[in-house]
Amino acid sequence: MDGMMTSEPIPHRTFPSPAGSGVVEIVIAVCLLILAGWFVWGRGAVTLPRVEPAAVSLADLDTRPLRIIQTDEPVVTIAGFERRCMECHRLFESPKKPPQRLTQHQDILLDHGLNDRCFNCHDRENRDMLTLRGEEAVPYSEVARLCSMCHGPTYRDWERGMHGRTSGGWDPGGAAYRRLRCSECHDPHAPAVHGMKPLPGPNTLRMGHPVDREHIAAAEQIDPLRKWQHVLEERRADDEDHGSRSDDPGAAEQGE
Amino acid sequence: MTQHSADNTDAGPHHAKMTRRSFLRRGGVAVGGAAALVASLKPLMDPELDPGDLGSIQRFLQKHYKEMSTEDMDAALARIRNDVERRYGLRPDIRDIKPMDGVEFVFALNLSRCIGCRKCVHACVAENNQSRDPEIQYIRVLEMPKGTIDIERASHHYDRPKVPSEDHFYMPVQCHQCTRPPCVKVCPVEATWQEPDGITVIDYDWCIGCRYCEAACPYWARRFNFTPPRFASDEQIAQNPDIVKEQLNPDMSYLSNRPREKGVMEKCTFCLHRTREGKMPACLEVCPVGARKFGNVLNPDSDISRILRNKRVFVLKEEAGTLPRFFYYFDERRSRSGSDELDAPAAQSGEDA
Repeated sequence: MDGMMTSEPIPHRTFPSPAGSGVVEIVIAVCLLILAGWFVWGRGAVTLPRVEPAAVSLADLDTRPLRIIQTDEPVVTIAGFERRCMECHRLFESPKKPPQRLTQHQDILLDHGLNDRCFNCHDRENRDMLTLRGEEAVPYSEVARLCSMCHGPTYRDWERGMHGRTSGGWDPGGAAYRRLRCSECHDPHAPAVHGMKPLPGPNTLRMGHPVDREHIAAAEQIDPLRKWQHVLEERRADDEDHGSRSDDPGAAEQGE
Repeated sequence: MTQHSADNTDAGPHHAKMTRRSFLRRGGVAVGGAAALVASLKPLMDPELDPGDLGSIQRFLQKHYKEMSTEDMDAALARIRNDVERRYGLRPDIRDIKPMDGVEFVFALNLSRCIGCRKCVHACVAENNQSRDPEIQYIRVLEMPKGTIDIERASHHYDRPKVPSEDHFYMPVQCHQCTRPPCVKVCPVEATWQEPDGITVIDYDWCIGCRYCEAACPYWARRFNFTPPRFASDEQIAQNPDIVKEQLNPDMSYLSNRPREKGVMEKCTFCLHRTREGKMPACLEVCPVGARKFGNVLNPDSDISRILRNKRVFVLKEEAGTLPRFFYYFDERRSRSGSDELDAPAAQSGEDA
């Protein structure tokens, strides 16, 4: 190679020059100019649609337990005053069978299936305690033992961290680990967990946009992962609009 | 000297050859090229562009996460701290948290309990500084008719006055932190990898945004940033006061929830800035029904180990061969009717008989 270079200096670069090369260069230049113009003035950049952020308040993301559990010194609010249980129950003897209509504690809705007697759970003698089948009194903090009298398998799962909420830390041996007790989620008088209104659904570029109710019904029947389905739906809706506006009976029928 | 003069004489004829036609030709191409160059700079005219976001030499020269020394990391963290403060007006507590020894994280989700309230979705968004506009969400809650697990017919756009619906069940899906992650396999620049505690992470400063991982993931777990994370404007908050005001979470780590750049991927990291410090992930803390379970699978006494031993767990898309660290299970009646000692294998076989 070197030998060639020195022995034969290159005086001219003799590219084959086709007759139309000038035209090609001018075409390239014009194309570049058009492209540049399109980039600058045309719709070159994709503008992301601005969306309204999902309306989620701090209260929606509260991580505290759903219910505030009674302490070992239970307090009940009656007529706006906080009372210790035994303040009243020391004075009044409770009836053997609870009356059809309670005269006190009327805010309590008892909806616990077959368990519809106060003293199945509350200690008859010491109202600050709960009772295990009338045999042993346990404080409110050990409510799980009371629940286990009937809900054995659930208690077994809860004991092993397989049922219920945990909080704080993931290491069961750690100080932060906390297993919520039964009544921190369940109302003991009506223990079924009821539903709630869901927080807003996704409105993301990846998962598509929320569509109106009919479209949701349609989306349940088809693959939600395919965004084009929504596009089709929108197009169909557009066609319908167009059809009704142009008063074309054929298009309107097709739309329906 | 002679050489020089020879050059001059050589150059002479070239100039002489510059005809009107060749001038127009070359001039045209030059103008076109210059125009194209100017056009390519158009993104700089974006009114939303903050000149400070254009990047610094340090960021350009920053090494891959695994190759950074402690000093490199300190410099990177200082840079990110300043960037975040400049952009969002809040000085973050950002650190690089290493995996813990003898810990492998596993998630389990109880489908019998999940009510589809989407609290996990939004707690995740708030915890991990995901963009609110456009929205990015790591968790997708699927609603499916009871009696099937047909993801093709699932909907994530359900909107009901009250959940759970009587004839549907709910299945939240997020990153499964696979043992054999396809997303890591396809990454051309090794910007994503699996950590010793099982979490697949992304170096946001190394990612080139090719989105191969997004295509490879069978669980739809990866998200692409079309903008830097944008939070609600004051105007939007004024119009809708329900929007969470304290939007930026200052508790950050390098590999998880620091604000991402435009054009990079992001995904669930099991909240590693929380979990590597012993805390629970944000989605679990907020779950009102306790459907989510998380823990160290290497500890036989952890909640998660007990669930894997005693519940009938399954993984999503088992046939994909990804070996996820995310399990689903149901509370089935049958497992509850057996012996008290669930953990003992003998008792379990006795129950089956």
